[in-house]
Amino acid sequence: MPRVLIANRGEIAVRVIRACRELGLGAVAVYSDCDRNALHVRLADEAHYLGPSPAAQSYLRIDALVDVARKSGASLVHPGYGFLAENAAFAAACRDAGLTFVGPRPEAIALMGSKTAAREAAVKAGVPVVPGTAAPLPSTAGDAAVLAEAERIGFPLLVKAVAGGGGKGMRTVATSAALAAAVRAARSEAQSSFGDAAIYLERKLVEPRHIEIQLLADEHGTVLPFVERECSIQRRHQKVVEESPSTALDPATRRAMAEAAAKVARAAGYTNAGTIEFLVDRDNRFYFLEMNTRLQVEHPVTELVTGIDLVQWQLRIAQGARLDVTPEQALTPRGHAIECRIYAEDPDEGFMPSPGLVRAIAVPGGPGVRDDRGVAPGFEIPVFYDSMIAKLAVWGATRAEAVGRLTRALNEYRVIGVKTTVPFFQWLVRQPEFEAGRFDTTYLDRVLAGRNGRPFVEPTAADQDEAAIAAALAAWFRAHRAAAGPGDGNGGQAWRRASRTEALRSS
Amino acid sequence: MTFEVEVSGRTRTVSIEGVGAAGPEGGQFRVTLDGVCQDVHARATDLGLFLTHPADGRSVDLALTERVGAEWLLKFPHVTLSAVVDGRRFRRGGGGPAPVAGEQRVTAPMPGRVVRILVKPGDAVTVRQGLVVIEAMKMENELASPKAGRVKEVAVTEGMSVESGRLLVVVE
Repeated sequence: MPRVLIANRGEIAVRVIRACRELGLGAVAVYSDCDRNALHVRLADEAHYLGPSPAAQSYLRIDALVDVARKSGASLVHPGYGFLAENAAFAAACRDAGLTFVGPRPEAIALMGSKTAAREAAVKAGVPVVPGTAAPLPSTAGDAAVLAEAERIGFPLLVKAVAGGGGKGMRTVATSAALAAAVRAARSEAQSSFGDAAIYLERKLVEPRHIEIQLLADEHGTVLPFVERECSIQRRHQKVVEESPSTALDPATRRAMAEAAAKVARAAGYTNAGTIEFLVDRDNRFYFLEMNTRLQVEHPVTELVTGIDLVQWQLRIAQGARLDVTPEQALTPRGHAIECRIYAEDPDEGFMPSPGLVRAIAVPGGPGVRDDRGVAPGFEIPVFYDSMIAKLAVWGATRAEAVGRLTRALNEYRVIGVKTTVPFFQWLVRQPEFEAGRFDTTYLDRVLAGRNGRPFVEPTAADQDEAAIAAALAAWFRAHRAAAGPGDGNGGQAWRRASRTEALRSS
Repeated sequence: MTFEVEVSGRTRTVSIEGVGAAGPEGGQFRVTLDGVCQDVHARATDLGLFLTHPADGRSVDLALTERVGAEWLLKFPHVTLSAVVDGRRFRRGGGGPAPVAGEQRVTAPMPGRVVRILVKPGDAVTVRQGLVVIEAMKMENELASPKAGRVKEVAVTEGMSVESGRLLVVVE
C-alpha cells in the first residue's frame, strides 16, 4: 500500500487523509510541538514530530519533511495549501529524494509563481491580462522611469510586489502625485515580507469580480477546466465566502474563461490541480490575474457542484493515472454551492484572532451540509498559524436554496471556548447584496468601513431578556456544580464557600 | 441567589430560586427579572444549557463559554451575546460599563510582528482609532485606541517581533 506524507496541518491535512483512506493509501502526518494532539495527527496512520511550533522550525523545514518521508516509507508527498505548497525548492527536493510530489513540476511552480512571468505566459497563450508593466521594475528603477510606465498604463493603478500575495506589498494609486510614496511603501513591504523589492504596475479595474477556474491536468496531456468559482466576497484581499457557479457569468463567458484557463495551463506545461484567477469587469470582460499552483482552500464548492473529488484526482494523477472525466461533467454545475471560512476571530473586535481552548463544537448536519474541520474539542487553537477552525460548505438545487441552507447551518454551528466569525456570516447572509448575488471585490470592505465598528449582532429586547436569565442560570449552575464537585478534596470547603456566598446574596 | 447581569450595556437584576429537587444537572427554577417572576426549566447539556418556558412552550438551546472577568459568551442559534455576571465584584468602582479613564497601556494580545505604526508620540487620537498593526496568525490586526486622548509613548518599532503582553503604545 503506497503511503502519502502530508506536509501540512489543520483542516487541509484532515481533507487529504480522508482522500488517502478512500483510495486505500496510507496517511503519514507531521506535527509541531503545539499540534501533538491535533485532529490531523489523531486521524493519520502514523505521525512524526517536525520541531518547535513556529512554522519556520517545523512545517516549513524541507530537510525534516524529506527525512520523515524516507523514515516512514512514504512514496508520495502532498503539500496541501499554504506552507510549502507553492515552493519550487520543496517540489525539487522531493523529486531529488525520489519522492512523488503531489502537484506540478518545480519548473511550473517557479514559472507561475512569478507574477510577471505568469503574465507573460498568459499573454503568449493569447489570454487577456490587465494592462500593466511587461517586465518587473527592479529596485534600481528611478521615480521618473516608474512614472513614465504609470502614465502609459493610466490611473487608477495598483503597485504590486512581484513576489507578493494576499494583498501584501500592494498599494492603490489614484494620481501621479501619490505614485512615488506608494512605490516606496510597496517596495519596503515586499522586501521585508518576501525578500524581493521588485514591483510592477497594473491598471486598477473598477469594481471587478474575482472569478477563478479550477483545473486538473494529467501527465498524458489532458487538461480539464471546471465550472468557475466566485470569490468576490473578500476582506482586505482575503477570500471570506466562495461559491459556484457565479451569478455574474453567462454560459458563453464561462466557456471562454475555461478555454483561456486551459490554454495558460498547457502553455506552462502544467500538471495536477491548479487554479487560474481572473478579474471580470462589469461588461463580462475577463483578465488573467494569477495562477495558484496548488489545491485551493475553496475546492469543496467545485466538488459539490460537479461531484468530482479533486483531492482523490490529485493523488491519482501523481501516480500516473489518466483523467477520464468528461469535460461536460466538469463544466456543468449541478445546483449551487457556497462555502464560509470559519475562523477563531472576534468579528466585533476588527476580526482580531481569538486563539484558545475549544471545549465543545456543535457541527451542523442534515441535507446538503459539508463540514471540513481541522479542530476537535480539547484542542487549543495555537497562535502560530492561521486561526481557521473549519470550512462550512452547503449545496442547494438553486442559489436561493443554498442560501437558506447556509443560514440554517450557521445557526447550528456553535463552538464553545473561542469567539468565531459565525456571527459575521449570520449578518452577511441577511444583506440584500449577498442575497441578490450582486457584489464585487470592493463590496465587503466598503460595507464594513461604513459600519464603523457597530456590532454584527443586533439582539432584540427579547434576546437581551433571555440572555440575562440564561447568564444568571449559568452562574447558578456553576456555583452549585462547584459546590457539588467531587474528587478534588476541597468539596466540603467549596460547599461552605458557596453557602456563605448564597447567604450574602440572598435578599 | 441574586445576580447583577450586564447585557448590551444594561445592568439587570436576576434572582434564581430552585424549585424542589433542582440541582446542578437541572430542574425547575423561579426566575425574577427586574421584578417580574416566571418559571423556567433548565437542563445542563454538552454545550451549556437547554431552557424551556412552560408559560408559552418557548425553548432555547444555549451554548455557553465562560471567559475571564466573569463574562459569559451566550450562543443562541440565531444570535451571540455576552453577559457579565456580578461584574462589580471584579472591578473597582461601581456598576455599569467601567469608564475608560486615565493612562491606557495597549499591549500585544498575542505574539506577532509589528508591521505598521500609525501614530507618533504627541498625536491626538479618538476612541477606536488604529494605533499599531500587528501581523499574527497570518493576518494583519489593527489595534485601536481604547479612549480618546493623546499618544504618550510608542514602545515598539516597525518590523519588531513582540511577545504576548508586550507594551505597544501608551495613550493618556
